[in-house]
Amino acid sequence: MGVVYIGDRSVGKTHLAFELANPQGQYVKVCNLNYDNLKPIFLQPDGTARATSTIDNRTLDVQVQLSTGRSQVSVEWIDPPGEIFRVPWQLEHPSEWNSFLETVRQSEGILLVLPPYREILKPDVNPETYITQEQWSNRFDRWTKFFSYDCPKARHILICLNMADLFSDHLDKEAQTLAFNPYGTQLNWLQRHIYVRDRYFFFVQSHLEEINRIRGVSGLSVRCFITSIYNRTLLELPWIYLASYLGN
Amino acid sequence: MGNICVIGPTGAGKTTYLAALAYCPQVNNQIFTITSVTEDAKKIANKAQTIIKNGASLEPTIIDGVKIKSFYDLPLYQFKIKIKPWLKKADEINLVVRDYPGEIFNELVSGIYNELHLEFIEECLKKDIEGCLLLLHGWEDNSDNFYSQVMGKFIELMDKHDRSQNLRIAVAMSKCERGELWPGRLDPENDIFNVHLPRTKSLLRQGILAQNLQFYAISTFGVLERNDPRPNRQDETDQIGSSRSILRIPKKWRPYNLISPLYWLSKGKRMRYGV
Ligand SMILES: Nc1nc2c(ncn2[C@@H]2O[C@H](COP(=O)(O)OP(=O)(O)OP(=O)(O)O)[C@@H](O)[C@H]2O)c(=O)[nH]1
Ligand SMILES: Nc1nc2c(ncn2[C@@H]2O[C@H](COP(=O)(O)OP(=O)(O)OP(=O)(O)O)[C@@H](O)[C@H]2O)c(=O)[nH]1
Ligand SMILES: [Mg+2]
Ligand SMILES: [Mg+2]
Repeated sequence: MGVVYIGDRSVGKTHLAFELANPQGQYVKVCNLNYDNLKPIFLQPDGTARATSTIDNRTLDVQVQLSTGRSQVSVEWIDPPGEIFRVPWQLEHPSEWNSFLETVRQSEGILLVLPPYREILKPDVNPETYITQEQWSNRFDRWTKFFSYDCPKARHILICLNMADLFSDHLDKEAQTLAFNPYGTQLNWLQRHIYVRDRYFFFVQSHLEEINRIRGVSGLSVRCFITSIYNRTLLELPWIYLASYLGN
Repeated sequence: MGNICVIGPTGAGKTTYLAALAYCPQVNNQIFTITSVTEDAKKIANKAQTIIKNGASLEPTIIDGVKIKSFYDLPLYQFKIKIKPWLKKADEINLVVRDYPGEIFNELVSGIYNELHLEFIEECLKKDIEGCLLLLHGWEDNSDNFYSQVMGKFIELMDKHDRSQNLRIAVAMSKCERGELWPGRLDPENDIFNVHLPRTKSLLRQGILAQNLQFYAISTFGVLERNDPRPNRQDETDQIGSSRSILRIPKKWRPYNLISPLYWLSKGKRMRYGV
């Protein structure tokens, strides 16, 4: 069983997955990775993630607390460098690209990690390193094609707008709204998706519909999330969702 | 022990239906007690709780070559259903149920050429299968045309496998909490099938012995209250023709008519008591 993180360079694919292993977990725990021992491998001394240079594979044994008890999910975590999603790279490395596509098609879950767009950044964030909403939307066109034509039968597609700490003024409140509680009555998965979609993905709604339409009955609808390595609640949500399907 | 196959097009609600049956033991009911026997049934009961009750759809059942390669990889659900109507003698049915991938059904029209897929059809027409529960969910424009073609093929195959005289078929309109269908639920043959799927209906009546064919209307999600027929359902997208919806209010989850088709399939007589 594989779960692939996809997305351009420096969007947070590696850090987002690695941070799951932080022992301060709420409902999600990674049992087979030691966070402190692995820190030097994934992070630089200043705490930011190291760029990924090859397609990395690691087993993740994830334990998730659901209303039915602990659910155990053992998956191959596949972490490619964002570089491979650039067309020139794909043209130069056709066989690597095709074999990666094969991996994607066979995996159970695909997490697309996206950076924030300039227009939603908080005022204190330097906008220059982030693309505009229009550029972001154009890039999303290509992801739409990717999902529709390169892996139309993927079982689970999760779209994560990452670095929520950089765009949400009230991150804790937002997280509270979206929070999961195995015993309580929070928003359900569809309501969470609609909440996030209408706030952050509204301008690509037709793209999302297009992906669902092409996937038809062979896959579930795509789900939108916001995530941040600085907010445990948001960080865990995609995995809680996945675990309710993949867990035993 | 009755062996039953649940068949029907993709998205008809087959897996969700079985999940609700398996989950039912936890739902209080004065008349029925359902015990899930197999591990698969317990697993899917958990999914009813973590997925269906949390506003998401179960995964489609697909011959993906990984989890499901052959007929034998299909989950196998075994249920023991005890029925104890008020002031009446207790009754019991035992069922072994296979949940079919809808893609097999969809492929029937064009003909199944894939050996593997062919095996699925052969298995559901084997002698030890007592009956099939056929779930259909489409009622709009093209559905009648499509279903009648598929069922034409299916009846041919029944003949070929020598099952035309001895295989019970319960045909159920699923998701009948939908406003257009709900009023027809009490006499589904006349008020749902005759109205929306007339060709399919008459083809079935012609091809299958009267005593081996029954029509039902079921809804796994049901409506909000006995006297509040608003569907307990929310659609996943605004897309027309999309067949994905979720259970809206889990606290009010009362499936409609899940057991009576199974009762008839296993006993050959209709169940008298309400659901
Ligand atoms: N503020 C903030 N920074 C983040 C977040 N997630 C990741 N980062 C930082 O963003 C930078 C890029 O993260 P990576 O995990 O290396 O990104 P990547 O997508 O794996 O990049 P490649 O491996 O080059 O494709 C690093 O400095 C991370 O520490 C987040 O949620 N918030
Ligand atoms: N409105 C409504 N939707 C339902 C009902 N039962 C199931 N659904 C929805 O119908 C969709 C398909 O359900 P499944 O149970 O996966 O359908 P299936 O027949 O097993 O489909 P395949 O496995 O692809 O053959 C899901 O979105 C379900 O939530 C119901 O009673 N009413
Ligand atoms: Mg990386
Ligand atoms: Mg199914």
